[in-house]
Amino acid sequence: MAILHLTRLKKRYPNGFIALHGIDLSVTEGELIVIVGPSGCGKSTLLRTLAGLESISDGELTINGRRVNELEPAERDIAMVFQNYALYPHMSVAGNMGYALKNRGVPKDEIRRRVAATAELLGLGELLERRPRQLSGGQRQRVAMGRAIVREPQVFLFDEPLSNLDAKLRVQMRLEIRHLQKRLGITSVYVTHDQVEAMTLADRLVVMNGGHVEQCGTPMALYAEPATRFVASFLGSPAMNFLPVTIHQGGVVLPNGTPLALPVDIPEGRAATLGIRPEHLLEATSTQNAGVILEVTIEMLEPLGADMLAYTRLPGLEEWLVVRLDGAHAAREGQRLSLTFSPAYCHVFDADGMRVSMTEAADAKARAVQ
Amino acid sequence: MRYQRLGLDLVSHLLLAAGCGLFFLPVWLAFTASTHSMSDLYTHIAPLWVGDVGLDNYAQLLSEPVNGLKTGMLRLLFNSLVMATGIAVGKIVISVLAAYAIVFFRFPFRRLCFWLIFITLMLPVEVRILPTYEVVANLHMLDSYSGLILPLIASATATFLLRQFYLTIPPELVEAARIDGAGPWRFLKDILLPLSKTNLAALFVIMFIYGWNQYLWPLLITTDANYMTVVVSLKRMLTTGDALVPWQDVTATAILAMGPPVLVILLLQRYFVKGLVDAEK
Repeated sequence: MAILHLTRLKKRYPNGFIALHGIDLSVTEGELIVIVGPSGCGKSTLLRTLAGLESISDGELTINGRRVNELEPAERDIAMVFQNYALYPHMSVAGNMGYALKNRGVPKDEIRRRVAATAELLGLGELLERRPRQLSGGQRQRVAMGRAIVREPQVFLFDEPLSNLDAKLRVQMRLEIRHLQKRLGITSVYVTHDQVEAMTLADRLVVMNGGHVEQCGTPMALYAEPATRFVASFLGSPAMNFLPVTIHQGGVVLPNGTPLALPVDIPEGRAATLGIRPEHLLEATSTQNAGVILEVTIEMLEPLGADMLAYTRLPGLEEWLVVRLDGAHAAREGQRLSLTFSPAYCHVFDADGMRVSMTEAADAKARAVQ
Repeated sequence: MRYQRLGLDLVSHLLLAAGCGLFFLPVWLAFTASTHSMSDLYTHIAPLWVGDVGLDNYAQLLSEPVNGLKTGMLRLLFNSLVMATGIAVGKIVISVLAAYAIVFFRFPFRRLCFWLIFITLMLPVEVRILPTYEVVANLHMLDSYSGLILPLIASATATFLLRQFYLTIPPELVEAARIDGAGPWRFLKDILLPLSKTNLAALFVIMFIYGWNQYLWPLLITTDANYMTVVVSLKRMLTTGDALVPWQDVTATAILAMGPPVLVILLLQRYFVKGLVDAEK
């Protein structure tokens, strides 16, 4: 059942700027939706319109079947966790967590009971009398979460809640949020610009760009079959490699003339882009009977421990071709490398950046190669 | 950077001590003069040590009607206290609301409103004193506490100071309060006022002293001695016609008049410095 339902939600600012061009989205109970995109893509605006901090210009927003377009944030039955936590500096942890309940006229005893229970859940029991400035970043983050949980809202909104934490704490809190969210069955909308956070947390991922939803689906679906070149480039680190190609005789041709047999569903002669992820480029071995061999030169290496990233270039091409090698690989800069890849892992995008589906024949062939 | 050199320390401390002495000397002279009899003061040069009358002058001053006036010193002090407190509290209440509106509410001509308030900084009481007098006279507020207080309680300085502080409040805090169901009044009461506690204390000190030291305005609108302030009465004591000026009374009154402002500073000094220097995080 959809808890949160957006129908052609639009946001137009008084100066004429359109931040959201009609967003459609349904969030089911207990689901964690992550909205991800580069800065300025409208993801924060979207979250703020859900919260009621920004007005809705057009379209409809319902929470639990109730239209909430015109309701104040406090009346929408939502809670929000802010990037800088926005804790009230002069109130104790308990005061911060209980403030919303106090404003709602919940009896004092009940506030105390609920705050204590939530604090227990988050491991904040010892800190209830402290002021926010006496807490560490992670503890503040937890208080901000507690302030949201204690209200028992229909929907949780997270606005880049981990951005102010250091890398180690961020990973820890990410797990903690995921764990809590599953355990309490909290319906959540989570905004981030960090694609790792997005991939790891999301039940479903919404990739936004320029006020539009580019694609929506499970993280792995988006990763495996990005609908647009934008989604392909945004998800995955290091990013997908893109090579400009032209369509010729049902296949694609690289600018340096190398033909690849990829029967794609696109008219002859058109310009297109071929995308392939760094981990799908494999070193060709003599025993393998691979269809396509790319001869490249390693220009730079980035050892990451488990992996080694090789920045290579095809002769006569400007674009980098990043290859993910094994961390123990003995590659050296300047060395030549023979690469091969399976057509099944190739993505082709047309001139508008839309994914081009391979023909049935191509799919079958791709599977055969695998 | 802090220099750790004995010579430098010594010189700076000497300079500070000299400065303190310089400021304290007139106060000390006023105090010693207030403990001498009138005849002493007219036969000797300004005394540097306390005289033989001790605090008798004070006792007399506080118990009998002030020279040339039909009212007592306690009443004058009370009038000053009412006026200074009224002005300080009034200024704070109005400035809090004005700054709150300017910073947190979106309404047409918001910016214009702020600048209108701001440019009144350039118009001190003295410049607009005649029109103000006429307004107060037409409202029949001459010789009344409201006449003393009301024309002085709008404050561009305080509005500006509070506005600057309110602007440092992160917008997320305002939004968090909105989500937590705090309406405009609740937000003001539960969040904004507690956060600006130190600023308010600092403002209160400044405005209390400003109000206490008002001279021209109370002089102009009070003819009834029952509404005269202690600062105005000081001047009145000096105009004695042919008789000798009672310097022992004048100095004693000056010392008494210094009391309440000093007390206010002592009580609030902890906040005073904090409120002007740093915004509490």
